Amino acid sequence: MKADASEIVVKTIVLLLYAFLLAPLVMVVATSFGSDAVESFPPRDFSLIWYAKALAEPSFMQGLKTSLWIAAAATLIATPLGAAAAFGIHRGRFPGRNVLQALLLAPLLVPGLVTGIALLVAFTALDVGTAPERLLFGHALVILPYSIRTTLASLVRLDPALEEAAGLFGASRLQTLVYVTLPSIAQGIFAGALFGFILSFDEAALSLFLIDVDTVTLPIAIMSHIEYSIDPSVTALSSMMIMATLLLMILIERLFGLRRLLGA
Amino acid sequence: MSEAAPGAASLEPPRGRSVLGDLADLFPRSGFLVTVPATLLVFFGLVLPVGYLLLLSFNPARAGVTDLTSDITFANYLRLVGDAYYWRILGRTLWIAAVVTVLSTTLGFLLAVSLWQSNPRWKGLLTVIVLAPLLVSIVARTFGWIIILGSKGIINKLLLSLGLPALQVMYTDVAVIIGLVHVLLPYAVLTILASLDRLDATLPEAAKTLGANGAVVLRDIIFPLALPGIVASGTIVFSLAMSSYVTPAMMGAANSSVITTVIYQQFVVNFNWHFGAVLVAILLAASLLTILFTLSALARFGRRFGEAL
Repeated sequence: MKADASEIVVKTIVLLLYAFLLAPLVMVVATSFGSDAVESFPPRDFSLIWYAKALAEPSFMQGLKTSLWIAAAATLIATPLGAAAAFGIHRGRFPGRNVLQALLLAPLLVPGLVTGIALLVAFTALDVGTAPERLLFGHALVILPYSIRTTLASLVRLDPALEEAAGLFGASRLQTLVYVTLPSIAQGIFAGALFGFILSFDEAALSLFLIDVDTVTLPIAIMSHIEYSIDPSVTALSSMMIMATLLLMILIERLFGLRRLLGA
Repeated sequence: MSEAAPGAASLEPPRGRSVLGDLADLFPRSGFLVTVPATLLVFFGLVLPVGYLLLLSFNPARAGVTDLTSDITFANYLRLVGDAYYWRILGRTLWIAAVVTVLSTTLGFLLAVSLWQSNPRWKGLLTVIVLAPLLVSIVARTFGWIIILGSKGIINKLLLSLGLPALQVMYTDVAVIIGLVHVLLPYAVLTILASLDRLDATLPEAAKTLGANGAVVLRDIIFPLALPGIVASGTIVFSLAMSSYVTPAMMGAANSSVITTVIYQQFVVNFNWHFGAVLVAILLAASLLTILFTLSALARFGRRFGEAL
């Protein structure tokens, strides 16, 4: 097939778009390996000095610890809750399952800022929860829909003949669930959990309203650091976050397919 | 999706097997029970708090008071309507969201078509690149834009070395638009791709065989068929652009507010929660109207297209 002029124009635009999508990420990673005190591109030399500085900054390390355990705990709460709910919606025989599904996916539609404020007002009015508890609750709520979605997608794809066969061979329903159904959808559930972990780890708008002085998540620690000074230790830290996220994304793409996970 | 798998119905539970078997029998039929924990989380974490917040907007504004009273008033709404400052904020919010929507949807369409037609070998990698802005921390992403667009950033260094005057892009509305297009482009691509995936992948080839060139194929064949996805993408991008907070807060000018940054101010700086709740109500209503508008537009396309949402 011969390429015409319009095709070349479109191809050029698409290439530029890929460059646009990658530019800020690549720049952060590239500049993080220099030793200059002001971030510069291209870096004049190769050095890991800013990585060492970033890892020695107490507010970053505290933030990293907080973000890691909140993301892990929120994922551990949201994954079984979401998977169970997806089972109920897919296999249940009760009325109003469509409405329930819409309700359970609602945290996706409400902006993080609004969810954060609503939770702040509710927690304050009731005077309950410490900052870590509030963060954990909010994060579990926000990532719940992803767990529901991946489990639902896996259940829809599951060949019913497999379960039928297990039943014919004398497996009880529980045995079928444990030995046939769950192993078949485990990859999807795991991909959803990874995705939820990334989302929680990177969350900023919701957390703003649930933190206190002693409990600050990493994105917010970086945000407040940037307000005072932009130094290359932030570049090194951001670079680590970018590389970790890209690695996890590739893993999810391999395990499950990113597009299916995002519901498109 | 809500329909049970056909096989599940024909799965006859083996009778009188074991206690465990009977216990498991409960599971598929009373599926409602297993949805209860998640439902409680969403009900107490989202429905009640947002409802409470909206009710708060009808109470007289009193600093530090968070309890609901039966003292219903529209004073907070009247204050908003009567103040030109808030109309300007709303205007700027809608304007930025509109520009971001047009850019993201147009560029997202081109990107989606190229991804749709890409070699399966590279599809996975290209998908990761397209979706990266969505998942990489907003803070790290914004920091990348500071390196590129900042006053001593790469673009300005390039301009200066060419003897051109430096540009002030960072901390302007232009920076906010760039940042928002960057993060919302993946949503546009995903939504439009969902529409494209329903089409026969050999369609463009067939059109070309019949003599259409690339532009004609895009404009007269793919575009009309992808229209439901494009409309849906516009809605999603518009409501996300309106309600994003971190990008305008980190990349915009301090004196150039949008509705979300004003909401943050009302709640965190001014402690005027009742008035802040009015702004939240406006934001949610605007998102809802956008979605309803699109649903009715898609309904006009006919039932066949409605599935694209």
